[in-house]
Amino acid sequence: MPDVEIPEVVDFLAQHAPWAVLSEAQLRALARRMSIRYARRGTALMTVGAPNDEVFVVRSGAVQVDDDSGRLVERCAEGGSFGTTTLDGTRSRFAVTALEDTLLLVLPAPAFREVTAAHPAVDGYFSQQRATRLRQAVETVNLAQRDAALQTRVGDLVRRPPVGTTADTTIGDAAAIMAREGVSSLLVVEAGRLVGIVTDRDLRNRVLAVRRDPTAPVATIMTRDPVVAAPDDHALDVVLRMTSRAIHHVPVVDGDEPVGMVTSSDVLRLEQADPVSLVGETAKQRDVDGLARVAARLPGVVERLVAADASADGVARIVTAVGDAITRKLLELAEESLGPAPAAYCWVVLGSQARLEQGLASDQDNALILSDDAGPEAAPWFADLSRFVVDGLTRCGYPRCPGDVMATNPAWRQPLATWRRLFAQWLHVPVPEAVLRSAIFFDMRAVHGDAAVVRTLQGQVQATAPQSTRFLAHLAKHAVGNEPPLGFFRGFVLERRGEHRDTLDLKRGGVGAVVEIARTLALTRGLPQLGTSMRITAAAGAGAIAPESAADLRDAYEYIRHVRLVHQARQVRAGVAPDNFVPPAELSGFDKRHLRDAFAVVRGVQHTLAQAHSVGFVS
Amino acid sequence: MILHRLAADLHRHRLAQRAPGGPLRDYLQTSPPDPGTAVARLRLLALDLETTGLDPRRDAILAAGFVPVDGLVVRLSGADEVVCRAEVPVGQSAAVHGLTDDMVVAGVEPDELVARVASALAGRVLLAHHAPLETGFLSAASQRAFGVPFPATVVDTMELHRRVLGAAEGAIPPGALRLPAARAHLRLPAHRQHRALGDALATAELYLAQVARLSGGRAMTLRALQR
Repeated sequence: MPDVEIPEVVDFLAQHAPWAVLSEAQLRALARRMSIRYARRGTALMTVGAPNDEVFVVRSGAVQVDDDSGRLVERCAEGGSFGTTTLDGTRSRFAVTALEDTLLLVLPAPAFREVTAAHPAVDGYFSQQRATRLRQAVETVNLAQRDAALQTRVGDLVRRPPVGTTADTTIGDAAAIMAREGVSSLLVVEAGRLVGIVTDRDLRNRVLAVRRDPTAPVATIMTRDPVVAAPDDHALDVVLRMTSRAIHHVPVVDGDEPVGMVTSSDVLRLEQADPVSLVGETAKQRDVDGLARVAARLPGVVERLVAADASADGVARIVTAVGDAITRKLLELAEESLGPAPAAYCWVVLGSQARLEQGLASDQDNALILSDDAGPEAAPWFADLSRFVVDGLTRCGYPRCPGDVMATNPAWRQPLATWRRLFAQWLHVPVPEAVLRSAIFFDMRAVHGDAAVVRTLQGQVQATAPQSTRFLAHLAKHAVGNEPPLGFFRGFVLERRGEHRDTLDLKRGGVGAVVEIARTLALTRGLPQLGTSMRITAAAGAGAIAPESAADLRDAYEYIRHVRLVHQARQVRAGVAPDNFVPPAELSGFDKRHLRDAFAVVRGVQHTLAQAHSVGFVS
Repeated sequence: MILHRLAADLHRHRLAQRAPGGPLRDYLQTSPPDPGTAVARLRLLALDLETTGLDPRRDAILAAGFVPVDGLVVRLSGADEVVCRAEVPVGQSAAVHGLTDDMVVAGVEPDELVARVASALAGRVLLAHHAPLETGFLSAASQRAFGVPFPATVVDTMELHRRVLGAAEGAIPPGALRLPAARAHLRLPAHRQHRALGDALATAELYLAQVARLSGGRAMTLRALQR
């Protein structure tokens, strides 16, 4: 038979993994060994226990793979394949059913074995489970970080042995040591153990400004038990510690023994360290205009972090640190202009900012918890404070919450006792609509004021949520309702209409779905964690999710966020406001395949969650 | 019915005697599938011809693409495409089928094309979308080359699609029976049109989808497809 090309089949194979690695000539030969079959929707293509000696590739339509206990394993859309696990004579552990009218390319076992023997890449593709492929994708993405500036370890930043003294040294002698050594900070060491730190600022603020006696021991002015870092810590983590606490010196200790000092100027020397300067600049601003100018630099900083292959999680923490710093500064400015608060209060952030997962497209979500002794006369002051901060945040580029979950809304500016009642109501008398709107309040973090009130509320939630079966069922129902955009005919489901037509929504069925799953899991077990990855890990520890599923879900979360971040960085470069909607043309084949895997993982966990909460699962 | 079939066999037999020895005579001497053959075992050859026009008396075949269908399986191993050296210039039709004068000059003689199709079609039903075009051109070419027409047992996917769309629905909208429209209706993927092999494969896939619809999973015979 002449080697005539079958363009339709060759082109199709060339567009889909793993066949795309084959040459044109190899694809031509492979196509000629295939046959085509058609199955109407509902047709059983493989049954559990039956032998099979063919590999099927979905050319159009979709099939569903279930395991022998009837649990959904995966769905294969266009380009997906099945049948490879039975070729060695083992009987099928899976049942495969056509979900739609499906056209299949069929390759006999001997031809398949020849291809996999000749092409390790093809073999590797099939010998790995989907989840393994996803893990590799995450690793590949993270691999690139090894050389990035932010992968620098703290130990690499230490440039000289530590300069230290003992606690009984006088302040004057300590200052003399610092002058002689040319350092801006001094470690205070007792018996080889770090006990405190003294900085230039301490000499100014705690000695000269208050006319303290320089012959007093240095122990009287040192900061005890300072924030420290280990030599193996990532420089990024130290950056975050500095930004979140507004400190400039972090001693490096190996065990208890001081081995050096890292300063903010050391980390600033790192190519990608502008987050530190950003937070530092925030603290220096005197008005909202100044803050807005500093905030405007954040997208550019994120863009550079992405270019340096920072992890999605690391970038989110930096974005959150900047968001926190801006919020705190606005509260400070508000208090300056409004005068002292008439009662104790706590400004809380909600949602992504509370979880340390703020992104460039995140709205502001915040609320006020007032002390129970705040009388009605205090109300105008708090209304003014809220307006100042919310307006300020808006001017700094944090869009107003479309659901009006902001402190400017009187409903979310309540004394602690009211908050306790609200949580009790959400948990014990769940109305579907209210549950939906309340979900965001279960991700709450104090950024200013008395953090104890937040701990009180969280204690209440942790103690009562696990028994609130109906509340949890509503939460679970919503968490499984945001279907990942896994399509059938074109691989992904694209937005059908509106501004985001023909784009892939990475939030609703992706990042957002994982966040909701993690929140549901955490509340089911009354876990205190806020961060999504930490919630998933803790849920696995508490037996709320299988450890393998937890690992897969964390990978899926990191991967989808990574793709979103790269997309947002590209938008920033193009001068466009960052969003969650990715046109498929922007994605590489690698991204598409692994996104599909990631979405499949999310879908699988949703399915399990639905069963656990007896939620009707609409697929 | 039986008499009709006997007459057809006799006709083929007489033609075989007039035809020169070779694939065409072999084809004529091989009985086509019995009308009672179950669709699941029916052997067909999906065929598409690219031509310089629509009139078999004046226009010429430029290419034949075909692919065998065994029961409900399309065998890509048997797929083939034959480009023909046409006696007439390709002219404006090149814009449709993409075959240029140069490609056509390098092609086989028309008698070779007829022989290749005959060889592949032996013992099979000819499957085409709007089959009168294929049978008309094959017969005209066979007559010119070998002095005998080219009889064939035919299943026409255009006629099958009329049934898929349902006669009861009244007038079928214009264009709804064309190959791309029929495929789209049954949610088959888009294909590159007007390439002989591509259209033959598209027809074969359409046939699988049509049979799945029309049979509804029950046994069906060749006779029922030709009804």
